[in-house]
Amino acid sequence: MPYHRAVAHWGGFSISQLETPARPEPEAGARARAGRLLDARLLLLLVLVAVGSRSLLADLLDGPALRTWSTIFVSITVQALPFLVLGVLLSGAIAALVRPGWLASVLPSRDLLAVPTASLAGVALPGCECASVPIAARLRAGGVQPAAAMAFMLAAPAINPVVVVSTAVAFPGRPGMVVARFLASLLTSVVVGLVWSRLGREEWMDRARSRLVEGDSRWASFARTAREDFLQAGGWLVVGALAAATLQTLVPRTFLDAVAGNHLLAILCLGLLAVALAICSEADAFVAASLRQFPLDARLVFLVVGPVVDVKLIAMQVGVFGRRFAVRFAPLTFAVAVASAVLVGRWLL
Amino acid sequence: MNDRRTQGAILLLVGVTALWLGLTDAALAYVRGALRPPLVASGVALLALAAAAMLGRDPGGRGHGHGAPRSGWLLALPVLVLLLVTPPALGSFAASRQATQAVRASGDPAGVFPPLPQPVGGAVPLPVSEFVTRALYDRDRSLAGARVRLLGFAVPDEAGGYQLTRFNLFCCAADGQAYQLAVRGDRTPRQADQWLVVEGRWRPQPVSDGIAPSSVLPVLIAESVTPVRPPADRYEHNLYGI
Repeated sequence: MPYHRAVAHWGGFSISQLETPARPEPEAGARARAGRLLDARLLLLLVLVAVGSRSLLADLLDGPALRTWSTIFVSITVQALPFLVLGVLLSGAIAALVRPGWLASVLPSRDLLAVPTASLAGVALPGCECASVPIAARLRAGGVQPAAAMAFMLAAPAINPVVVVSTAVAFPGRPGMVVARFLASLLTSVVVGLVWSRLGREEWMDRARSRLVEGDSRWASFARTAREDFLQAGGWLVVGALAAATLQTLVPRTFLDAVAGNHLLAILCLGLLAVALAICSEADAFVAASLRQFPLDARLVFLVVGPVVDVKLIAMQVGVFGRRFAVRFAPLTFAVAVASAVLVGRWLL
Repeated sequence: MNDRRTQGAILLLVGVTALWLGLTDAALAYVRGALRPPLVASGVALLALAAAAMLGRDPGGRGHGHGAPRSGWLLALPVLVLLLVTPPALGSFAASRQATQAVRASGDPAGVFPPLPQPVGGAVPLPVSEFVTRALYDRDRSLAGARVRLLGFAVPDEAGGYQLTRFNLFCCAADGQAYQLAVRGDRTPRQADQWLVVEGRWRPQPVSDGIAPSSVLPVLIAESVTPVRPPADRYEHNLYGI
């Protein structure tokens, strides 16, 4: 894109209509349309800032409920940001430094072996779930079998050392809880990975770009991969944070007391609560510890479901892999996670 | 947003915001202080990526179908909310929506607590979360008879009194849990979210068996109440003794 046009875009108005098309590029029309769309959006943004200024938006968000909502929305985003940056930097490093095909050649070629290997490799990524989505997409683009990339994505946020330690701290004197969480999360990632390798279809991941950067220097391809992954996953993280903040503000916690008595209902409700709250996997153990009116295995369900499927993750998966992927993957993961937690809980707790 | 410079501008916006949060106290309304260094680091990384995008010579977006999707614009939303509204730390509204006490922020599961700290200026300074936990679960009743000093904000109740409240944060405000106690003996009506230093003594009550979270509010008989300015960090971070 020529420099003058880029400047015009950033200025918030378009002069592209006034330009006579210099070269009859086939994509020039589409580009100009996209440019005008982009300008409209920028303009909206600037108008919002200028006209709205502090007072309007502050008035809009003045009610106590809206204030709480905006606090939680910003909190989730701010808290996730460093992890997301870590994830996209790693993703960029994989794109720039790892020879395409190398990762796939290291992993066993059969899914039956590759999936558990990828799950166990999740131990090495000390982050929460926001980091693992862009990394999994990059592994996938780099030639790793989809099932193995999925298994890594599900396992990493639940079994890494930071999460294990925080779970141990939150449940003092109950090492069984730590072991059960580790095993149930591992089981979930392996089972989902294997089911996906049987039933999953490549075309559902219509957004997972197999784009490989060619001809760029390593630094340039690192910078571009990290930048584009950040914008893609980050935008959808914001959608997830909006949804989670809304659910947190609207759903009163009092309903929890009502269902705690019924064991089956308790298990289901804590699973759904983990989806709705979208709490970082490094902190969810403390919340689970405080849900003392619930039986231990229901709280284990909360800990196993949270890192693998919640509204924030679903939004990011829609953005990174595509909607057709997410509508199949999220229910599958939820069902497997609940079942694994109940089974392991029955055995260990 | 196929334009490399537009992408860079969004990264710049988010990066500067992350730096600002990491370098000032502003982040403390949303996350633990421990997250500030990672915020600074991610701000620096984002600024470097933004600089590479805006100054670099790589042909961004061309020949690769599409670059980053339009959803990248959404990243401007939290920045706008943050800069224009600056949402406050969780307060009385959020506290009033939590039904049961979130309990046991300290002590071991058997209900054994370490001895109270030494008094400073005639009263033992305690986090609200520790006071509540000891009041509900300490079998040795270490609070009995001790004059304590607590810092929290007021949540008025229907009866004209108020509950002294403080949120305990593990990671971010999304997992914040309110710890509350009823203050008796303060005749002055207090506004919601007014920060107070309250000195007084625990009114002993039966200790919970530790199975269920108690909906019982511990009671503090106030001996002196002083309105104060809110602290820089309005949350407690009592991670089970860590």
